[in-house]
Amino acid sequence: MSHLEEVLTVANSMGAWITAAPIVIIALVQVLLYYRQIYHAADAVNLTRNQLSQAFRTGMVTSIGPVVAIFIIMVGLMSVIGAPMAWMRLAVIGAAPTELTAATLGADAMGVKFGGEGYNLQVMAVSWWTMAINGVGWLLLVGLFAHKLEDVREKVGGGDTKWLGILSTAAMIGVFGYLNSRNIVAMGGPLIAAVTGGIAMVILLQIAKKLPQIKEYTLGIAMLIGMFTAMFF
Amino acid sequence: MAAEQINEQKYHEVWTTPVIRMGMATMLIACVLSFIPLIYLYMVHGILPPFGPSLAAWGLVASVFGAFYIVEPISYYPILGLAGTYISFLSGNISNLRLPCSAMAQEVVGVQEGTKQAEIIGTMGIIGSVITNLIGVTLAAFVGSWLIGLFPAFVADAFRKYTAPAIFGAVFGQFAMRQPKLAPFALVIPLGLLYIKAPIWLVILAAVFGTIIISRVFYKMKIIH
Repeated sequence: MSHLEEVLTVANSMGAWITAAPIVIIALVQVLLYYRQIYHAADAVNLTRNQLSQAFRTGMVTSIGPVVAIFIIMVGLMSVIGAPMAWMRLAVIGAAPTELTAATLGADAMGVKFGGEGYNLQVMAVSWWTMAINGVGWLLLVGLFAHKLEDVREKVGGGDTKWLGILSTAAMIGVFGYLNSRNIVAMGGPLIAAVTGGIAMVILLQIAKKLPQIKEYTLGIAMLIGMFTAMFF
Repeated sequence: MAAEQINEQKYHEVWTTPVIRMGMATMLIACVLSFIPLIYLYMVHGILPPFGPSLAAWGLVASVFGAFYIVEPISYYPILGLAGTYISFLSGNISNLRLPCSAMAQEVVGVQEGTKQAEIIGTMGIIGSVITNLIGVTLAAFVGSWLIGLFPAFVADAFRKYTAPAIFGAVFGQFAMRQPKLAPFALVIPLGLLYIKAPIWLVILAAVFGTIIISRVFYKMKIIH
């Protein structure tokens, strides 16, 4: 058996599946815990059950499009790092490009080309280690310090609800300004997708004022319009 | 429905305190679980990643992503809130899934931004997105290679290449509508920094906090409401 065959056999073995599963399960457990807690807390903030299930449904529906994209990208990733590892890594922090970078850097540290000649089990172990330790960077810092950020927000907000609303809108515009700026610089397809997606969303939200039942689908539809317009250029 | 009717103490008891407890516990458990596949490699195949190269690889990967460990939670916090931050940084895919889904849930339910209702509704939207996400990756893992054949190449290409740009454009449009005067700044700041080839972590920080500072100035000057 060549190195690469051996690597892919181990990467897709039952043991890999079983040991990849726990972190996927904890991601599920976490949202189930919060889901239950939201129902406990709803009365304290005057939210109805109906509003909660509407929010849940909107989250599920809005994410269908991006999840299809993740699905397609993940199938590609599976051929490189094996299905169990792709499943584990894409169920938690770190999207496909991040994981590929980490896996490649692991091989680099061993002086071997990722997936190339000399990529044996030991190099794969370093790739796995590198993906894991990279994800832990976010997990650990957020786990230890996220609640400190709440203190900061309370201080900055100073109890002014109107200002807090503007603050979070400004943060959102800022984040997405940055995300779009990289596609603007890229020109071509990504720019067309961003501009048509943006215009479609603005128009759809105007329509939704008259037709509230389509509101849940506006972002999904705007995304499809942006994507396929870009494909025709 | 008014925010001032909310009992602060009760809110802490039924929301903030348990959210922190569950968040810390699940994040730290996830840290440990990240390494389980390596234990399998050692136990069954007798293979350990060698110490020196592992340390070197850690250094390399931290030099690429280390700044984001800090910058991303701080920058996204004002939008995600506490529970949203714990969930988003465990489940990932923040810009293309969590932020848009949080925003859409708030938009559809019609809560006022920055309130406690908004935080909880946004969190619920994020939870919905995690469920879809987990279904998606699990399907991909088990039947992906077979299902992928059902997508025409043109459609698969569209999703692969343009989902992220299209959704980023759409969410920007959605929020630019609410505060049109802030939108140009949110684009000019990162574009300028990209032009001078500033590091990406700095571009994120400057885009978010630059826009927040400008919003503060405009709010004080009563240019925006």
